[in-house]
Amino acid sequence: MSMKRFVIIGNGPAANHAAKALRENSSESRITIFSKDPFRSYRAHLLPDFIAGLIKEEDLYNSSYAHYNEMDINLRLGQRVVSVDFSKRNVILDHKEVVPFDGLIVATGGKPRLPEQFQLFQDIMLTLKTPLDARMWVEKLSNVDSVLIIGGDLTSLSLTKALLKLHKRVKFILNDDAFWPVPLNEEIYRAVTGRLEQRGVEIVHCRRIRRITQLEENLLEVETDREILETGVLGAFFGLVPDVGFLARTGLDIDRGILVDEFLKTRFANVYAAGDCAQVYHPALRDYWVSIGHENATALGRIAALNLAGSHFEVQVKPESILEVGGVKINTSWWTEF
Amino acid sequence: MPEVDFTVEVCGMAGDGTIAAGGLINEAMSHGGFSVLGFDSYPAEIRGFGRCVTNSRIGSNEIVALGEKTHALISLNDEQSRSRTPSLAEHSLVFFDSNPPAYVPEDNSLLSVLPPGAQVFGIPFGALAVGASGASRGRNLTALGGFAAVTGVDPNLFRKVIRDKFKAKGDRVVDINVKSFDAGYEYALEKFSDRLKSIFSKIETDHDPKKVMLSGNQAIGMAAIDAGLKLYFGYPITPATPIMEYLAKYLPERGGRVVQMEDEISSIGAVLGSFYAGTRSMTATSGPGFALMTELITHGVMAEIPAVILDAQRGGPATGLPTKTEQSDLHAAVFGGPGDSARIVIAPTDVEECYHFVIRSFQLAEKYQTPVIVLTDFFLDNRVENRPLIRAMEGQAASWNVFPDEAFKDHYQRYADTPSGISPRALPGMEGFNFTATGLEHTEKGSPDYSPENHAKMSEKRHRKLRYALKDLEKPAEFFASDHLDVGVIGWGSTFGSVLEAVEKSRKNGFKVGALKVTSIFPYHSETIGAFMAKSKRVLVPELNYEGQLANLIAHLDSKPVDRLNFVTGTPIPPSAIQSRIEELLGVLA
Repeated sequence: MSMKRFVIIGNGPAANHAAKALRENSSESRITIFSKDPFRSYRAHLLPDFIAGLIKEEDLYNSSYAHYNEMDINLRLGQRVVSVDFSKRNVILDHKEVVPFDGLIVATGGKPRLPEQFQLFQDIMLTLKTPLDARMWVEKLSNVDSVLIIGGDLTSLSLTKALLKLHKRVKFILNDDAFWPVPLNEEIYRAVTGRLEQRGVEIVHCRRIRRITQLEENLLEVETDREILETGVLGAFFGLVPDVGFLARTGLDIDRGILVDEFLKTRFANVYAAGDCAQVYHPALRDYWVSIGHENATALGRIAALNLAGSHFEVQVKPESILEVGGVKINTSWWTEF
Repeated sequence: MPEVDFTVEVCGMAGDGTIAAGGLINEAMSHGGFSVLGFDSYPAEIRGFGRCVTNSRIGSNEIVALGEKTHALISLNDEQSRSRTPSLAEHSLVFFDSNPPAYVPEDNSLLSVLPPGAQVFGIPFGALAVGASGASRGRNLTALGGFAAVTGVDPNLFRKVIRDKFKAKGDRVVDINVKSFDAGYEYALEKFSDRLKSIFSKIETDHDPKKVMLSGNQAIGMAAIDAGLKLYFGYPITPATPIMEYLAKYLPERGGRVVQMEDEISSIGAVLGSFYAGTRSMTATSGPGFALMTELITHGVMAEIPAVILDAQRGGPATGLPTKTEQSDLHAAVFGGPGDSARIVIAPTDVEECYHFVIRSFQLAEKYQTPVIVLTDFFLDNRVENRPLIRAMEGQAASWNVFPDEAFKDHYQRYADTPSGISPRALPGMEGFNFTATGLEHTEKGSPDYSPENHAKMSEKRHRKLRYALKDLEKPAEFFASDHLDVGVIGWGSTFGSVLEAVEKSRKNGFKVGALKVTSIFPYHSETIGAFMAKSKRVLVPELNYEGQLANLIAHLDSKPVDRLNFVTGTPIPPSAIQSRIEELLGVLA
């Protein structure tokens, strides 16, 4: 019997825990991780510390390359999967390579969410999801004194702390999309703005942003419905959305994320999805939920791998920990950061 | 100041423009002021088959050996490049065609076998070349553009060498090739804007206009012309053929001629004939051709006729490994042939020495009236180096011929037994200096004489002459000289660069190690070599042969046994292998 080929798309916590569990349960298989990003798995929550200069870039990363060699896991970084042919059971890469699989786990995580009204300006707005983004912040911040953050979310709050440590002037525009997936009610708004103002952040009150113009390399002009602001750098923070666009028109069921049952199985045999890119069915709710955060991701990655290796584990989430936000059901059971 | 020691490989199929791309890297980086050592390996078969690889080691300090770990791999054929991945350094840069003409199965893909830390840069080489020039043939230049952008090489260096390379083909050809390069450069600058490396852009180098980029074979050809070569006789054989090609191109401009003979026997015969007549000539061959020449070489020894023979060693025995390197003709060069036929054998260790030793070989042959064999090898012949090359001025290559004194007119003895063993040599046609030259044992006059007394006397005379030649043969050079060494490493030929690098690294690790470069293979400076061996607790001789041929030659000079490191992989000895052996010996000492 030939060696089984397992492919994992993604390199975040779900993907890496899936790979580890697969290796533990299938010592003879060939396991390949594909990541479109050219860097190792990293600790996203440390990115603001790196920007603040509190840690070195190397400290961001979880595992050494040698670790993958020891685990006999083929880590293929900077190689983008552009499609999956489920009938032929092939993964197709950007550079026209065709990789067959016996089992597949999609764990691509999320990507920065940018509301439609800001997409026109995405080239001049920074986000913070990866070490590359962090390097960009470091480079930009070396040339500017002021930062304007639009949106909100947990990452932006951590980044703000880092910016204040660097003695940057920080302005914040909180709008309806801020703190997605948490609804921005009056109570949260007051609590957050109060805390930010206490630390020296200027809160900009406005309903909408009309225009963003790049005046110079390190000078942007932002026109709101109330005033015109100038800033050195502009950050956009509206949470993450599942990164599954490349799977459109492959036959996979996709809503916001990939629809999977309570065992993380998709509609195709031996194809699973885990982590932030999955929308998991909840038998009690008779509905799907999405997950957020490192702990959710590692648990789901492991379950997907064990089930792919032949087990039959169900994702256990208490119905009361499923929160509905803007029509999206979210598992917050491990979510304690906020 | 930041330093750089960077090795880049280009790998493709024959016909992909691999060798051309490697050559352009060498030239561009040399113009940028870097020290460069480049080496190509290619299949023995004709164009269209097999793997071609170029290896360029680029340094801000002088480079003396090939790089062992590849920091950048430019793949012009992914299936072929899969074999190159074991030598990739951690975090190496890999450039590949991201838009090949057809889908590639994982088992043929380069990316599927890369180590996890490799940084991949997919560039649509072919598509960009078509866009820039209308044809995909310039995809090797597109690849170079990507390499230059990511590593921070000034693109003008590449543009200059591309223009130089193609200028003979006209402006249009120059233009489309520069455009192909620029297409790759611009693409990579934009696509990888957040991953650019600045490896070369931050390095300050001193551009030395006297530095010349030459291969060993080119240096040999150039030296022969500068030495006043008039006739070259040869028969094509890898890796010596480029010498003939070089001379065919340039020798006629200097009034000389290149004659392709029917085989190697006639080649050496013609060389002996022209030298006999007083005209500088030479031949170049490789092991199998050298074997054919041996009888006539001994004729030169016996008849005391000068000859210059270049033996570009390759993997043997027999046809062996035509495009692989080896140092296994030493025994044949020193001892090959019937009778006690001692002759002069010298071996340059780098491209610069190739030039100077070939010039010297003509002078030695003339003065000592014997064949002089210059031993090179595939690695030395085909590698390119940029070194400040001081070419011989007029007079420096002058004849060392020892003509007879007018006093001997009409009673000239061609093989007169002198204290040095050198018999003043008349040339045919010199009035009053008629003589007989023969391969039969002969008297001082040149008449055949097989008597025991005469053979003993003339044998001793010929060998005395060789011993006397030592005063004109370069002495072994000691590096990191010291009164006492824990390990003394003796190197020769192309291997010496690896010896030097290994010894230097071991010394940096705190070990008492030294190196001795032996270039005069026969006769050799036994006192100097013996003294070096005596002061070394262990003596190591790394060689590219199985038998330890230099080690065999010099082992008797000291009572302790010689430690050998013999490589027959067809590739140069990596410095790390020598360093490991040194430190292994040191472990034994401790």
